[in-house]
Amino acid sequence: MFKRILVPTDGSAPARRAIKRAVQFAREQKARVIGFYVGPPWQLPIYSDYVPPEIVSPKEHNAAVKKTAARYLGAVKKAARAARVPCSVRYVLGAHPYDEIVKEARRRRCDLIAIASHGRRGISRLLLGSETSKVLAHSGIPVLVCR
Amino acid sequence: MGGDMFRNILVPTDGSPLSRRAVEYAVRLAKEQKARVTGLWVGPAWEPNLYAYGNSVPPGFVSRKQHAARVRRAGARYLRAVAQAAKAAGVRCKCICAEGAFPYLEIIKTARRGGCDLIVMASHGRRGISRLLLGSQTSKVLALSDIPVLVCR
Repeated sequence: MFKRILVPTDGSAPARRAIKRAVQFAREQKARVIGFYVGPPWQLPIYSDYVPPEIVSPKEHNAAVKKTAARYLGAVKKAARAARVPCSVRYVLGAHPYDEIVKEARRRRCDLIAIASHGRRGISRLLLGSETSKVLAHSGIPVLVCR
Repeated sequence: MGGDMFRNILVPTDGSPLSRRAVEYAVRLAKEQKARVTGLWVGPAWEPNLYAYGNSVPPGFVSRKQHAARVRRAGARYLRAVAQAAKAAGVRCKCICAEGAFPYLEIIKTARRGGCDLIVMASHGRRGISRLLLGSQTSKVLALSDIPVLVCR
């Protein structure tokens, strides 16, 4: 029923739990897991005409995001390898993670998005995470919301 | 195929076209996962007319019993679709007709009581206006559920 499952992660504890579930579900469905991370885009800090001393160059920023992505997506790869589920990972830079997630799902022709009910910014268990609710609103494919 | 991740899939329906899609999804998934399906329909709660009528009974008054019978009858029509879909796929199925003013509460309660491990729901049902808005009951179930929810589009 599901052959390609997109698993977005932001490295938070709920996201790690969602990865575990998604991989287990993928094994039962004989599906492929696609790990995905959206990093923040580089931004020039602008304080009128003052340039702060420890400014991060785009290159340094990209290197930092790459390192973070490797760590977060490594968790997906590791879980998939342990369950012997085929897996690929990818990261992009984007200011709106939900948009990148929905686009990536379309681009990779995924048939399910497995996502945590909230990630880093989910405060209360009574609130759905902001990116998750936006993914739910914009996705054209079913979404498995893990708690 | 088949596994032990999802054994009992709850599928609440309000009879709308989108929720019928959710039923299809739930049954297909249940077949693959060798799970069973619990169909649920929630009817409106009994609300007696509490006006100051004195001793008179207002015309069109529906007693608690009559209301329950009506809810059961309406629910049976919607739940039959679930039972038939499950039967056609060879999936074990149990249908529950509940009554309550807040469908999401009944959904959560039924999931807990029935030991369900997944809720399959449409992104919106009867009252969903826009494709960009999540249905009111769906978003409340998402907020309150302890088990995963598969939202169908």
